[in-house]
Amino acid sequence: MHLLSRNKWPAVFGLAPALLIYLMFAIIPILISFYYSLMDWDGFTDMRFVGLANFQEALSDPIFWQSLKNNLYVVAASVFGQIPIALFFAILLNRKLKGGKIFRTLGFMPVVISTVIISLVWGMMYNSRRGLFNHLLELVGLGEWAQNWLGDPKWAMISVCITIIWQFVGLYLIIFLAALQNIPQEIYEAARIDGASGWKQTLYITLPMMRNAIAVAVILCISGSLRTFDLIYVMTSGGPGHSTEVLAMYMFDQTFSSTRFGYGSALSLFIFFFSLILVYLSTVVLRKKAD
Amino acid sequence: MPQTVVGKPTDIERIDEPKSRRISKKMLIYILLVIYGLVNAYPIFWMFLNSFKSNIEFAKSPFGLPVEWLFENYKTAWETARLDTYFLNSIIVSVVAVIVTVFAGALASYFLSRFRFRWGKAMYAFFVFGMLIPIHATLVPMFLLMKELGLLNTHIGLIFPYIAFNLPITIFILVSFMSAFPKDIEESAIMDGCGVFRIFWSIILPMTKPALATVVILNFINNWNEFAFALVLINEESLKTLPLGLANFAGQFTTNYGAQMAGLTMAIIPTILIYLLLEEHLVKGMTAGAVKG
Repeated sequence: MHLLSRNKWPAVFGLAPALLIYLMFAIIPILISFYYSLMDWDGFTDMRFVGLANFQEALSDPIFWQSLKNNLYVVAASVFGQIPIALFFAILLNRKLKGGKIFRTLGFMPVVISTVIISLVWGMMYNSRRGLFNHLLELVGLGEWAQNWLGDPKWAMISVCITIIWQFVGLYLIIFLAALQNIPQEIYEAARIDGASGWKQTLYITLPMMRNAIAVAVILCISGSLRTFDLIYVMTSGGPGHSTEVLAMYMFDQTFSSTRFGYGSALSLFIFFFSLILVYLSTVVLRKKAD
Repeated sequence: MPQTVVGKPTDIERIDEPKSRRISKKMLIYILLVIYGLVNAYPIFWMFLNSFKSNIEFAKSPFGLPVEWLFENYKTAWETARLDTYFLNSIIVSVVAVIVTVFAGALASYFLSRFRFRWGKAMYAFFVFGMLIPIHATLVPMFLLMKELGLLNTHIGLIFPYIAFNLPITIFILVSFMSAFPKDIEESAIMDGCGVFRIFWSIILPMTKPALATVVILNFINNWNEFAFALVLINEESLKTLPLGLANFAGQFTTNYGAQMAGLTMAIIPTILIYLLLEEHLVKGMTAGAVKG
């Protein structure tokens, strides 16, 4: 503090590298998409100012709405799939168990593996002819239940969501385990003296004490699942027939397959604000409840 | 009777229930946990086993151990898929980005945490805001920016976005670590006439080692796994990173499952090794966002 009052240049030099790179490659892209979103441009011929036409077009495109719906579907599947499963196993793991560490390690493993690899492996597991799931069904005599998991619009979204749930349960498991360890043990002791069973302790002590951690996990889960792109791109590319299209996938297709940079920029902005608003709303709602 | 509880502080089961019931309860818990562990590990294990099978065997029995271990699949995958190129590109991009991110991030964190100046708080909030930016919302403008700068299809063009999007979490972790140091740590150094950067380099940085380790590993894994920017910014085969290369490679091998899984197995080994060796750091880094909430 004392040093800085004499000379502010060290701080300027110290902050400059991080600030410049961050501004240039994280903030400026968002700002320039405002400009491009008002244009019609294929990347080669002259740019043409079209006002808000790009936004209007998006709002009147049924595939855009389908992607938005699928995005929310992924969010819902993640919140209602990942959080309860993670909470359940965190409570199971939060006791003295031989080898408990192994389950933690295995649980978190999918979180660190590249989404591309996960998508490819699960893609092969879902494979309609030789995949793991159909083979398994045949093996137990339920061959007629076999499906074209990723190729059938009825099943594609469900299959994709199962993989997404599988991938991130471990993240919330660890968050919950950390929160569980912060619950003071005296409370349980008091409950035991009063004769509360293990099940009742979970219901009336653990879950209420975990409220804050659950709220944080739900917020993280919403913002995380809104970012789904890699997995859909590799597993289905949004197909079959747009049934697994999400906003980022739709944007990617519109921009790079149809080379419409103005329209793509408008969609980028939409994704940006949509994500921020949804995360903000969930923070406000859940924080209020948790307090 | 209640006093006995104190001996087992983390055991939340009732201890006055009959022993046989306690054992069967423990069994049930183990069974559930083993199922959970299997569901998590099996897809990777399945990939590993099948990477040694021929196509015919894979079709016949995708579950069992390979009858004949076909190591050839690995050779085929390595040679036809240019995995060496992808590996090299991933290493270059990840390592350079990690070094710059951690160094620039640590320097910025030092000033943000150890000094008070007018825009300090706002600047910190501005950096941390980056954790909320959905990366794919910047794919299109990033492509246009890189096109303008002439950085499409270069390593540098991929490294800059990686740095920019990892700085927020890096600064977040480092600032919260450095703020905890006692205030008078620099005092004596100042008495001795040390400059601001000297204090950073020889006092603060060594003290930050544990957090630096976390940040380095987190950054590395993030960059190693990144796909979306690579997809948009890199087109040239010789510059592709591992995730991007693998995504294409699956297309080339639609008929040779064994080789495909062999390629994926090779690609996953570094990640699994880093994870198993440095689990604590990686877990800490990846759940750091939750602390703030």
